Order: sequence, then structure tokens, then C-alpha cells
Amino acid sequence: MNGEDLIDNILREGERQADEVEVFYARGESVSTEIKKGILGTAEESEAWGMAVRTVKDGRIGFSSTGDPDRWKECLNAALASGRIATPQQWGGFPKPAGITGTASSSDQNLVVAVEGAAEMVGDLLSGAAEHPVEVIGGSADLARTYLAVANTSGVLYGMDRTVAAVSLEAIREQSTGYEFDASPFRADIDARSVGEQAASLAARSLSGRDIETGRYDIVLSPVAAASILGQVLLPALSGRNVKAGRSFLADKIGEQVFDESLSIYDDPFAPGLGSTAWDAEGVPTRRLVFVEQGVLQRFAYDLKTGYRYGEGSTGSAVRFGSEGPGIGVHNLFVDGPRTKEPGDERAVWIHDVVGAHTANPFSGDFSVEISNPFWMEGGELADPIRTAMFAGNVFEMLREIEEFGKDSRRVGRLTIPSIRLNNQQIIGR
Amino acid sequence: MADVRYYDIRCVRGETTLVDIDNGVIESAGTSFFDKAVIRVLGPKGWGVLTRDHVDMDSKRELDALVEAAARLAAVTQDDINLADAPRGALPVPPLGEDPRDVDLEEKTRLLAGIEAAARVPEVANTRARYTEGIDAVRFQDSSGNEYSYEAVRSGFSVLAIASRNGVMQMGSERDHIITGFNLRDKQELGRKAGEVAVSLLDAKLAKGGARRAVLDPELAGVFTHEAVGHASEGDLVREGASVLAGRIGERIGCEGLVVVDDPTLHEFGFIPVDAEGVAVRRTEIIRGGILSSYLHNRETLAAVGNGIPGHARAEHGAPPIVRMSNTFIENGDATYDEILAECKDGILLIGSRGGQVDPGRGVFQFNAEYGYLVEGGETTDMVRDVSLSGEILSTLHNITLLGNDRKMSPGYCGKGGQSVPVSDGAPHLLLESATIGGRGE
Repeated sequence: MNGEDLIDNILREGERQADEVEVFYARGESVSTEIKKGILGTAEESEAWGMAVRTVKDGRIGFSSTGDPDRWKECLNAALASGRIATPQQWGGFPKPAGITGTASSSDQNLVVAVEGAAEMVGDLLSGAAEHPVEVIGGSADLARTYLAVANTSGVLYGMDRTVAAVSLEAIREQSTGYEFDASPFRADIDARSVGEQAASLAARSLSGRDIETGRYDIVLSPVAAASILGQVLLPALSGRNVKAGRSFLADKIGEQVFDESLSIYDDPFAPGLGSTAWDAEGVPTRRLVFVEQGVLQRFAYDLKTGYRYGEGSTGSAVRFGSEGPGIGVHNLFVDGPRTKEPGDERAVWIHDVVGAHTANPFSGDFSVEISNPFWMEGGELADPIRTAMFAGNVFEMLREIEEFGKDSRRVGRLTIPSIRLNNQQIIGR
Repeated sequence: MADVRYYDIRCVRGETTLVDIDNGVIESAGTSFFDKAVIRVLGPKGWGVLTRDHVDMDSKRELDALVEAAARLAAVTQDDINLADAPRGALPVPPLGEDPRDVDLEEKTRLLAGIEAAARVPEVANTRARYTEGIDAVRFQDSSGNEYSYEAVRSGFSVLAIASRNGVMQMGSERDHIITGFNLRDKQELGRKAGEVAVSLLDAKLAKGGARRAVLDPELAGVFTHEAVGHASEGDLVREGASVLAGRIGERIGCEGLVVVDDPTLHEFGFIPVDAEGVAVRRTEIIRGGILSSYLHNRETLAAVGNGIPGHARAEHGAPPIVRMSNTFIENGDATYDEILAECKDGILLIGSRGGQVDPGRGVFQFNAEYGYLVEGGETTDMVRDVSLSGEILSTLHNITLLGNDRKMSPGYCGKGGQSVPVSDGAPHLLLESATIGGRGE
């Protein structure tokens, strides 16, 4: 049975026992070449197949998934059994077919999933890294193509292709490490040589850092460091489910000036990006969502379940990872603001990345993390390296007073974010 | 297939049951199915690896085709891999007290709801609990004729409470996961504890950053062991030049009396009966008497690096095996908890873990406590929140000045190379001299 026959069978069979049925289907292929000790170490190729089924009966939602097409009946029965236990809720039905007008830029027609292509990117990574006196300790180049489809008993059947080209490299010189990466749906976006060069440059230049005294400093977070810290705290706070459950710092603050008036945050599912899509993981048409405009909180993100439950309506924000059920997320989130001058023009501590961002407190916004590749920045240039230190703060407070945004907006996973200058921040030296 | 020096195939077929209760609402409760296979071929140089959903291991034709495809991948690699000989054999899997498959989904949901409800103490605004059960049927065979199969059953839960007052939100969380049977009965106490911690944190102070004497509780000291020692002793990182512990076997890297162990044979959450390459597992003393004595290895890193013990290859289903920890801990010393507090005199007591991370090449780690107390004159005083600790691998272990006698293991999951595997770690209470404490208090 191929994909669409199987989907059809499940919908018809499921409809005999439930009010509504939804099938989410993904199949994909990928290749990955890994660098070990400066050469191509391992070559890997994957084929994946997965299907997730949701059933709804009297407002009770059931879910199951399987990686084995032969077990589809078992999977459907497990979804029905799970629905019998779920708490019933307000439910207005899966979406009907809509005139999808937006176009998503998530697939590269020219991307070929072949080990030779990945090996070529490894060659580029290594030649970039060779520009600095470092040892390459690891890295990888990946190419992937996935077909995703969502179908339901209201007549929706949407399918799309998604491609990914991704590279990373880690270099070391004595005890100084540097890590860089990039990922895009489009092979042509990836400059593997430059990624290798940047990682090696970080390792080479961070050597022999000087200690820094504990105190308050003006800092510049690179897009990578900013994405790590904000991703852990800001994204959950925008989820409608966390808002309604009393788990979001931003709950009850719509219309308020919550952040610096230069800051805007929006999700643009039609921009080219890893999460670009014209319909969400439940088949709801996506749209551009402005969460924060000039520092004022505008809205939260909802999926069907949370939207129906609280009378808010889905914002087309459902996403899925792996074989899990849909949840609330973002497609291509932009953190943005006007650029006046460069954030590093005046002396500051520049922070490339942080260690331990996942230990931040997502509810209060407090964090204290170790910083990676910190430098004194003078006149927009990285000057002397700093040995090691911690950076402590609170995400919600920190975003109330932003000094500058850089012109260097960069895609880090599903976030696109510039450098951010923050003054008077707490740095803890050794 | 002249270019195939070795191959193995590992299939994991199984079921995952999840129950998610959020503020009394049963958000989802159900079972999903997976069937993953990984085929590895060692070509003239390095590895070619294939991953597939749903492979029939008993079909010789299918297997031959997969091995041939993996061999074509191996042909592009340049890394000279050799495999060390290693002892074979599988331990028996511990018997299940109560088999979670004998408990129906309704009862699991009801028991979890009891734990979640217990967390709802006054001033708690939100509670959430999650039950996770995994039944894995693992089959392995290799080109040397080794074969094994076993079943792994895991059952456990986490509970989260968020307390709220005047716009201030604080959290408390507890978890418990085991491999020896169903694990939801008589656990309301943990729910209540999560709720009470969240509420007491509403009145806690922010910790002040800086160098200070610190007492770590067994759970946090376990995470410390895992981040500060465990990762840097993994043979793949050592081989790739990504660990500060490379080339230091026989060197003193910690205080006298310090013994750090990784032991996959213990019936804790990181137990494996045999490793993911079919190698027998055994207790490995990474540090003995403060001296670095063994790396954790798989067959290829043992051949390349030496100075260690194989049997530490592990894999998430559908991913190739890499060197991992299992049950990692610091052995007991002889100090009592009271002696440790008295010796600390003025400092900070750190409790529980929100996780940690390490850069093993730079030798720097960070981890975060759930909460803590200031220690003044050998007595605990004010509660503090949002406090983390960072340190350097090569100096921190010398700064352990007292080892307690009350080791406890805690279950968790560890991420590396995009793979997550169940582990446990633990230690007795520890006293650390001049620890770098991160906090934003003034």
C-alpha cells in the first residue's frame, strides 16, 4: 500500500468508530557525513517512514503513531483507545479544505540527497578550517528531503516537500574550542567553507584569554548566544497553552509595553526557512503572526485544541517533531528592530555562545550560564579574548532595555535574530 | 563483498506509552509503535551506516542488500578504524516487580492524576504530570556470529508545579524512572514535594554570584560527576582530541580518596545487559584515589586510544552506537552530612538539578540547581533560587574537600550527538572549595 492509499484506508476505517479522523504522514531520506579528526569519518544514510493518527469522538481526542505500515490497524485502535481516556473538550472539527494562497519556500528542487554531495561539503568545511592553525575535532554535512502530508475526514489532503542542507564544524587549539554551523532548505545558501573558517577562527583567536573581574558590563550577544537564551524562555511564553495554564510570564499582558520599544517579534511562515509552510501540522492555513510590535505584546500562538478549548481559534501555529502529536510552536520566528548604529561600536564584552542555556528558568526568565568565546569588542572589532566567565540575568528584564541591534541577522534553527547589545549586565569572573 | 571487514545490525521494535495531565485535564494518554534498524558496515577504512524503519532481520536477502548499500557508503570514508577484541556476553535483565503491561491505561492515568493532584498545594497555580513507559525489544547480530536479544522495560514519571504570587512564578519538579517494573504506585509524596518547593521558592532570594564554598546534595553532585568527569572520559572525545583528559592517564586530577565509576551493570536507570556492539558490560573506575585510571570505550576507541574498558557503546533506537555513560557516580567517603555543613561554615548548599552541559575540549562545565540555602556558621539559613555552578574539569576535582557517606542515584536522560539515552548518576554530599556560583543577586 503506498502513502495515499493507506491514508484513505485509515480515514475510512477510523470514521466508522469516531466522529473525525486525521492522518499525518512523513517519509524522508537523508545522508550525513561526519568528520572525525579532520577527515571524513562516517557516512550515514537514512530512510524514515512515520504516520500519526488522531481520532475525535464527542470532544475526546485520541492519538497514536507508528513507523511500521503493517501496524496501521493497531495504531488506529490505539488512537481510539487513547481517545476514550482523554478529558472531553470544546471541539469545532478538523479544518475543511481552504484556498491556500501563501506559498512556502521550504524546498530546493535542485537539492540532491547523495553522499557525494555531502562529502563535497565536508571538503569545503575542511578547506575553510585549514586557514587557521587549529585541529578539527568534529563536524558534519547533511542533506535531507522529506515529504509531509496531512489528511482528515473533512476533506483536507495537503502534501509538501521539505529539504535541508546543514553543516557544522568544531575546532580546537590547545584548550580553546570553536564551533560554527548553518542550515537552510537551500543548498546554495550554505557556504561550508566559510562555516569551517569561522569555527577555526574562533578556536584560534580565543586562545590565551585573560580573566575578567566580576561586575557589571555592557555586552553584545551574537545571534547564536541570543537565540540560545531567548529560545529557551521566550518561545514557551508565547504559547497559548502555557498562557492559559498560568505558565507564561506574558499572560494577561496583551496590549502592554512588555519590552523595549525597538523590539518586534513575528512568525513569518512564508519567508524562506526551515519551518516555511503554507499549512500547519493540523492542516490549518498559516499566516504571518505579529507577537510583539515595537515592544507591545499583541497576541499568542494557538493550535486547534487549545484554540477551541479557550475560544481563541487556531493561529495556524501547530508544529510536530518526530512521531509526537501536534503542539504549539513557531514556523520562522523573527526577532527584529531598527538598526541605527552597530552594537559593537562602543567597548563591550562580545559573547559568541553560551553553555547551559537549557537550564534557564522558562517561567521566571532567570538564567546563569557559562559563556563561550567571549572577547573584548572595540570599535566593532573583536579585540582581546576573555578566558572564561558566567553571565547571569533575566530574559524578560533584559529585553526591556535594548541598546542596539546588529545588521547581522542570522538564521539559527527556526529563529532569525541579530546581535543584541545590552548594557550594564552581570558577569561573574573566576 | 571483499570490502566488508565487519558488519552488524541492531533492531529495536517497541511501544511507548505516554500520559500527559495538565491542571487536571487528561491531555493525552496512549501508546505509539516504532520499529527501527541500524546497519553498520566497516569498509576498508571507516563506517558506512544505514538506518531504516521496519527491517525483516530474518530475511537474508534484505540483510544482504542493506549490507551492500552500507558498504557503498563506507567506501567514501577515510578514517582508519580498527576494532579491538572485547569480551562478549549478556547479563540477565532484572525481573519486573509489576509488569506495566499488566496495568491498563485507565489505571495508569488515575494513578498519575493522583500524583498531579498532590502537587496542587495552596498558591500552586499550575500542575503538570507526565508518565513515560517504554518497552523495547532489542535484537543484535554481527558478521562474527554474535547474536543476542533482550527486552528493556522502563516506567516512570515527572511532575511539575508552578507557584504564583503577585506576578512572580516559581517551579518545583520531581521525577522517578526505573527499569524494574511499574512505577506509579504510592508516589503522591513526590507530587506534594514539587508543590511545596515551588511555593517556598516564592520567598527565596536570588543568589549572589562569585567564588564560594559549596555543598552539593547527592542529586546535584551526581550531575556534577556526569558533566565534570563523565563526558570528558568518553573514548570517542578522547580519540578525536576533544577532551582535556586525553593523555592524562595516571595523572592526579582529583583529591585523595576520590573514586569515580561508570557501571552499566547496576540495576539503575542506565542499566544495559550488553552494549550496543554486543560487548559485555562491566564496572569501570574512571578515577581511582584521585588518579585518572580508565576511559570509557567502545571497540574502535579502545583500539585507537587504549587505557580503558569497552562495553560503553549505546544507541537510541534508530541511531548508530556511540560511547556513552550509563550509571555514573562518586563512591562514598566517610563524612556525615552534619560534618560537611560544619566544615563548610559559610557558603551555599545546592539542591536538585535542572540539568547541565559541558565543553569537554575547553574543559568547562555548567550546571544548575533547583534551589539552595545559604550556609552561615555551619547552619542552613535563607533559601536561594536560580543558582548555577560552573567550573573547569582539571581544577574542580582537586577542590573537593569532603566526601559524604550517603550516596544516592537519580535517573535522567543524557543527550549527545543528537541521541538521548536513559542514565542515572549520583554521589554522596560533597564539599567544594571556591566553586564559581552564578546568580544575579547583588
